[in-house]
Amino acid sequence: MYFLLAAAFAGLIFLAGTSRLSRGNYGLVKGTPEIKSISGLAFGPDGILLVGDSKSATVFAIDTEDAVSNAQAPAIEIKNIDQKIAALLGTEAQNITIQDIAVNPVSKNVYCAVQSGDGTPVLFKISGDKIEAVSTKGVMFSSLTLNGAPSEEAKDKRGNSLRVSAISDIGFAEGKVLVSGLSGQEFASTFRSIPFPFTDKQDQATLEIYHAAHGKYETLSPIRTFTTAEISGKKYLVASYTCTPLVLFPLDELKPGSHVKGRTVAEMGSGNSPIDMVTMKKGGESFLMMSNSSRPVFKVKYKSIETFQGSLTTPVEESFATAGVDFVSLPVTNVIQLDKLDDTRMVLLQRRSNGSLDLWTSSERYL
Amino acid sequence: MFSLTFFVLISMVACQKKEHDDHITIHWKDKKASSISIFNQNLGSISGDSISDLVKISLKNGENKVAILGNFSKQGDSLIFEPLVPFTRGLDYELIIRNQSSGAFTIPDAADKDAPELTGFFPSGDTLPENLLKVFLHFSHPMREGQSGKFVALVKGNSDTIQGAFLDLQPELWNENRTILTLWLDPGRVKRDLQPNKKLGAPLQSNASYHITVSPEWQGSNGGKLKTAFKKTFLTTSRDSISPAPASWKISFPKTDTKQPLNVDFLESLDHSLLNETFSVTTRKGETLPGQWHIGPKEKSAQFKPNTPWKQENYILKVETRLEDLAGNNVNRAFDGDVSKGNKSPSSAEIITVPFNTVE
Repeated sequence: MYFLLAAAFAGLIFLAGTSRLSRGNYGLVKGTPEIKSISGLAFGPDGILLVGDSKSATVFAIDTEDAVSNAQAPAIEIKNIDQKIAALLGTEAQNITIQDIAVNPVSKNVYCAVQSGDGTPVLFKISGDKIEAVSTKGVMFSSLTLNGAPSEEAKDKRGNSLRVSAISDIGFAEGKVLVSGLSGQEFASTFRSIPFPFTDKQDQATLEIYHAAHGKYETLSPIRTFTTAEISGKKYLVASYTCTPLVLFPLDELKPGSHVKGRTVAEMGSGNSPIDMVTMKKGGESFLMMSNSSRPVFKVKYKSIETFQGSLTTPVEESFATAGVDFVSLPVTNVIQLDKLDDTRMVLLQRRSNGSLDLWTSSERYL
Repeated sequence: MFSLTFFVLISMVACQKKEHDDHITIHWKDKKASSISIFNQNLGSISGDSISDLVKISLKNGENKVAILGNFSKQGDSLIFEPLVPFTRGLDYELIIRNQSSGAFTIPDAADKDAPELTGFFPSGDTLPENLLKVFLHFSHPMREGQSGKFVALVKGNSDTIQGAFLDLQPELWNENRTILTLWLDPGRVKRDLQPNKKLGAPLQSNASYHITVSPEWQGSNGGKLKTAFKKTFLTTSRDSISPAPASWKISFPKTDTKQPLNVDFLESLDHSLLNETFSVTTRKGETLPGQWHIGPKEKSAQFKPNTPWKQENYILKVETRLEDLAGNNVNRAFDGDVSKGNKSPSSAEIITVPFNTVE
């Protein structure tokens, strides 16, 4: 803890001391980020890539220098992308894992985090059908160590840290980096809202699900994935949990040290774990799209969440237990990763029924 | 030490000769093939700038002979190639200069002595509640991530493998060194009245025999497979919905002027991982006593041995309320509290204090 604090503090001093040299307003400094793992990717402003590193409990902000606007992005389609990436890494597809994908909202290039069998993280950029490795040597970056490390790090006989945790998702909204964390120890959720550019501030709220569907049990549970959306003019965190309910939290209630109860609006089925969520728009209507470990991609109209939200102001009838918000299952299964290319198109990483792992772009007709 | 190093060098040289052409040498770092050096007379005519255009390393059996990503550098008469990720054990590689195959090498399989082992499984008890929430696997070496779904199984009786018992999480929950993995029994199925629970039922039922198996096919990050298969057998008891209660724990008071351990008996098994972090002993003034904690059999007790003898004083055992039992009930609240039964709101205290004295 002391070490982490000291390191974070030293980092801040370092950043503060060199800010005059840094680019723009983001407090970035040239160097080589020590990334130990990439569990989540998201884009901040101006092509700045946010990397969630579970192993070092750190969020990195890296300038990709890939900020040329591309309003008419062509659809991306790469078949057997895992085999192609594996060949570039000199190995077979079974020895790599695609950890996350994120579309740069400015250039529309797809960034892809890969972990090799030995644990080495590698970042790729995909533009058109070109796959290239992104070097993180000598880049403009800043980082923030997440707080909440245990006061005295317990070690096993070999000196390994016993602390088990992961960043389950990372996002960017309203000028803040949003990070949800999973602990392998306590069964709870931490949700951090970190102002960007990084300062010494990181707000941490604990979240609780109130199972409005039956109004009976209140539980703690870890967030698996999230997105943000505006419902009836109010900004919400839309979170999906490891136990699969879909829960809404008003963003303005997630204040430092607060304990916020969210409302369950839907349960998305059994034996399933949510993977990714994005908010899409078509013709004035907005949709929540959600990929799942063992279900097709779900589509939920925010309008129906809005209506459902209204009905939850009074104690909820037992009959809601199985109802919740209506959602449509799209004829797209085994989607491992999902991100938004633009308002109406998504980039999907899908394991096809023939076993091929393909990266492709969905058309407007899926909305 | 010197003789050992010498022996290792001899064995590496012997090993390398079999695996590659004489002019390619594999270099190892942390038992991973991290680079190769190439000594080839055809390289002399290639300028530094054009190396990456004219020289490539590719998988021998790969389609299109794709150039492996990495860095070339010159070191004396040799050319060093460091791939972005270490070469994979058991695979064959090819050196291609000016589109001509100019050599080959094979990365040998991991030595048996480097095979990882499963060194610990928690909870270690053989009787566990039907709403058991998580298990911990400890390994001797860093393991390959994202594989637990393939290699860990929950089996009822002798043959009935329970599908989807463990939560499919990406990323999996590993510690920094990738030696400890947490697996959750699908919490949606454990929690009462959620859809997964209603439709599929809980992963475990009470009064039954189960085992958890770990396949020896699981590879460590150095490519070696687990030395042996692992099997943990246990019986289930009924649901545990009660929070751990420090006030009811049995504390054996240590003797003054000795380093006798303070023994705390929980009367139930608690979470191994949190036991390592949530306990401390202080004086009444709040100074933390240096010493060692030891977790007792089946995680039912913990002992604290102070570095210096106990004084004739009142001490305080401090317990962080995030401590959980095997079913995810923490000191402040049950895993899924039934609010309809008029339970009082859970306490928000972060620490519970249990005072104790030393005895003469």
